[in-house]
Amino acid sequence: MNSLIQRTFPRGGNTSVPHRKDATEGKAIRNLPAPSIVVIPMVQHIGAPCEAAVSVGDRVKIGQPLGESKAFVCAPVHASVSGEVIAVEPRPLMSGAKAVSIVIRNDGKDEMVDFEPGDFRKMSPDAIRQKVKDAGIVGMGGAGFPAHIKLNPPKPVDTILINAAECEPYLTCDHRLMVERAPDMVEGLLAMMKATGASRGIIGIEANKPDAIAQVEDAIKDHQQLSVAVLTVKYPQGAEKQLIKAIVDKEVPSGCLPADVGCVVNNVHTAIAVYEAVTLGKPCYERVVTVSGGATVDPRNVLVRIGTPVQNVLDYCGGLLGEPAVLIGGGPMTGPPILDLYGPVVKTLSGISALTREEAGFDENRPCIRCARCVNACPMGLTPNFLGEYSNHEMYDKAKKLRALDCIECGLCSYVCPSKRALVTWIKKGKAGIAARRAMESERGVSVCK
Amino acid sequence: MQVKTGPFLRDNVTIKRVMIDVLIALIPTMIAGVLLYGRHALVVLFLSTLSAVLTEAILTRAPFTIKGIFGDGSAAVTGALLGLILPHTTPFWVPIFGAFFAIALVKLAFGGLGYNIFNPALAARALLLLAYTSVMIYRTDAVTGATPLWSSNTVSWPLILGNVDGVIGETSVVAILLGAAYLFYKGHINWRIPVSCLGSAFVLAMIWGLDPWHTIAAGGLMFAAFFMATDMVTSPVTPVGELIFGAGCGLLTFMIRQYTPFPEGVTFAVLIMNALTPAIDSLTIPAVFGVGASYKTRVQGFVVTTVAVLAVFGVLVAIEYQEPEVQPVITHRHYLPIHDLLGDPDFDIVDVGETRYYVVRDEENNPLQAALIAERNGFNGPVYFLVILQPDHTIKSVQVLEHRESPGFGELITRASFLEQFVGLDKDSPFTVGSDVQTVSGATISSTAVITGVARALDDFDAAFFKVDELVQYTDGTYVGQTNSFGGPMEVEVVVAGGKITSVEVVKHSDTPGFSDGAITGVPDRIVAANSPKVDAVSGATLSSEAIMRAVENALESASSGSNDEVFEGVTAPARSSWKITVGDGTYQGQARGFGGDLILDVTVSGGKITDIVVVKDSETPFIAGAAFKELLPALIEAQGPVDAVSGATVTSGAIHDAVRDALDIKEGQ
Repeated sequence: MNSLIQRTFPRGGNTSVPHRKDATEGKAIRNLPAPSIVVIPMVQHIGAPCEAAVSVGDRVKIGQPLGESKAFVCAPVHASVSGEVIAVEPRPLMSGAKAVSIVIRNDGKDEMVDFEPGDFRKMSPDAIRQKVKDAGIVGMGGAGFPAHIKLNPPKPVDTILINAAECEPYLTCDHRLMVERAPDMVEGLLAMMKATGASRGIIGIEANKPDAIAQVEDAIKDHQQLSVAVLTVKYPQGAEKQLIKAIVDKEVPSGCLPADVGCVVNNVHTAIAVYEAVTLGKPCYERVVTVSGGATVDPRNVLVRIGTPVQNVLDYCGGLLGEPAVLIGGGPMTGPPILDLYGPVVKTLSGISALTREEAGFDENRPCIRCARCVNACPMGLTPNFLGEYSNHEMYDKAKKLRALDCIECGLCSYVCPSKRALVTWIKKGKAGIAARRAMESERGVSVCK
Repeated sequence: MQVKTGPFLRDNVTIKRVMIDVLIALIPTMIAGVLLYGRHALVVLFLSTLSAVLTEAILTRAPFTIKGIFGDGSAAVTGALLGLILPHTTPFWVPIFGAFFAIALVKLAFGGLGYNIFNPALAARALLLLAYTSVMIYRTDAVTGATPLWSSNTVSWPLILGNVDGVIGETSVVAILLGAAYLFYKGHINWRIPVSCLGSAFVLAMIWGLDPWHTIAAGGLMFAAFFMATDMVTSPVTPVGELIFGAGCGLLTFMIRQYTPFPEGVTFAVLIMNALTPAIDSLTIPAVFGVGASYKTRVQGFVVTTVAVLAVFGVLVAIEYQEPEVQPVITHRHYLPIHDLLGDPDFDIVDVGETRYYVVRDEENNPLQAALIAERNGFNGPVYFLVILQPDHTIKSVQVLEHRESPGFGELITRASFLEQFVGLDKDSPFTVGSDVQTVSGATISSTAVITGVARALDDFDAAFFKVDELVQYTDGTYVGQTNSFGGPMEVEVVVAGGKITSVEVVKHSDTPGFSDGAITGVPDRIVAANSPKVDAVSGATLSSEAIMRAVENALESASSGSNDEVFEGVTAPARSSWKITVGDGTYQGQARGFGGDLILDVTVSGGKITDIVVVKDSETPFIAGAAFKELLPALIEAQGPVDAVSGATVTSGAIHDAVRDALDIKEGQ
């Protein structure tokens, strides 16, 4: 794939969503010193929560599994510090909701369990997957889907795509990982290809990261089956379906998975975690988080132990400049507000954004002037103005008919709306309403995707 | 921190910014309109914008600050747009009321911004067009060619740059495109509606054999395509929907222009499409990513579209072939269903002099029914009226088309009770004001204008169609004719060849050079062209013209085999002589009964000729009599004898003559 040609998805999208990455994209990742207390939730993934495997008073080491589940869709969690388990109880997450968490007091010794290195080139796909599973790797781009399940697609796939678009404003963790650890990412990609039987791997990078592109191209130069696809900087280029469309020019049918078009998509950080798990035997207990926003004193990219309270991360970065207009767990387009500063950093948190009043925008809910900016912007080709209205008024049948379930919640409709309507919020409500209806009616599901 | 929901980034476009951008985009058009039409246009624009803004501010109880009153700017946009689609000649209450209606009823009553179904500015214009037509159609003095849609068929530079009759905003294509370019640049409009709107009109014009560029450049279509049809609230949100909407606007505009009497169709075309917008939206919901239309659906869509296009085209063609091409006659702000009035769709249009006749002919090509439009000066300006004649050439009806007479007084000439009197009269009927035909009390001058105008019109009709030269065959030869013109004897030479007059030449005359030249050169040509000595006089040289005609008539007396004794209307005596003055030099006073009372003149005689006439007392109608005095008195002195009455002041003219004769003791007929 020629890296001089920029690829993009044809429908919708917006190129004027600001990047705002200059504060952190040039800053190397720093290790955040482990906090004195970590709070590790039992659910940091899509699927069933883990069951605690330790009890209060147990001594644990870094990398020790703390919880797992027999459920199919699950990923174990591991200790990120060594020390004593002081509590196993519901603790508030960043969102304010409570989840059963294992609280460990750090003894400062950083003792680790023994890691088992390996060579994926000599391992079977099953073995690779097992290692990935044992390492508790989930989609670290924010979705949190257990990686080992993704590496076992129901259909044969021929392409692994690495989602290095990072289209979310402010976030630069993937960018820095590529600049600093491109070979590790490549290793992880190759391991994933082995596990899935894919014949080619393509790393899709947005054109605003030339240094990353250069590093990755250098890292893959000896691998014929790998290539870099340079992507137009257009939000939401990093949305999975849009990425697939841009790179391999296939549309994932509604309700289906990427595997149905022969692809598996993984995040940069996930690929590196796979490398660490398979090659180094290191489980997932830390991740890079971008701390940014106009209200941060010292924005930077930090490597954070899972379970570190958000407050600790902010303190490390110099704290906040007064009360920010909004503090977001992630980026401003898709990230939820952080409501509890002592909520822990989890595997899926890619950024903490503290926005000032000038940077942030909020709902005003003026009347819809039918300007169709949302219709033109929606990457899924929906009509968010109607969808939002129907969903808000709980007309879930109409919302379903207008295919609310296809919304990827990228936030672009609200972003472009001149009336500042809470479109995404309403559509989320509509989706929940439809799902609830579905659950109420016992429908016989007919799978369209064979 | 409050609990809010994402996303937490917003593009910096707001409703207010969009509206301000639209206002900016309208500036070139506004400037062009004011430059073309002047101060009046600026006032209209200002009033409509102000009225719209204030209406919305008051009805929505906006805070009483500049910012509050301006609001989100949408009212100002509506006001500006409305001002730009009004003619600059409208009275000031029109933009005020129109803007009020647009905001209060078409927008706010439906729920305010975002809820209205119809474009408020266009709906207001439609209301004004239908209820107050007279103030809405741009006034022009031509009987035909009211707006460029009816006149030239080519696009001319004035049309592009703006120098043509129409509403304030529609005339300068350059200004419109400039503004549209700004809106495109700002991303507030996209190409779909303008291109489909102008494109469909273009294509239809080509198919119908009309000039497509003229079709899209004239009549407000371009302005509507970029500024009206693109109004976000009232147009579809889906891409395909926008294409259908635009195409519909273009199609309906074309059809309304072609098949209805309205001078422009854009207003109603867009309003109709506004009504269809919700339906169009629900029928054109785009295909979602990952949901492909099945082959069957695609085929269906293609077939339906093709059938629809063919059906529409077929209907248009069928209409064209079914109905005979009816020439819509629009004149003086009235649509005249000539074919209904004459009872026959098969009529000829004949221009004689400056009058246009609509004539139904019989098998021998003689005129049967006829309709004509004539004018006569009334109290405040010309009065245009329509006369319909029966096959026996008696009047079937008289109708006043346009006038500027005073409301409550002269305006009453439009009353049936006045106009009914004309029914059944013909050219030989007496038309004496006050006895044969009654005036409207309090509106003497206006009534007289109509009465004399109708009488004159009948005579003209007779002259136009029944003095046909086929009746008269002249014997070949060269003839000389003589008569007395007002300056002295006049002699003409007439050559007849092949039974027709081939040349007329004035060989001798003593008329005033400069005044009579027009007649000397013009009348002979007319006589040759008409093959008849009875032609229109050259205005400003009536006496000379009539003298030439008399002389030719005399010359041909021996040449013609047909009867030649029709009385020439307007000439009271075959030969005009000057008065024989028997009194000595001095000043004599004469009196006569005028129109409003006694008329007393002082006539000065010096050297055996009348040298001065002064009005001592009169009770004539000021406006009319003024003209009579101004024209007649010098003419009398010039002619030293009786002269033509001044049109519209017959009685006064006659009174002046009587008074002079009374002063000089000249008997009638001397």
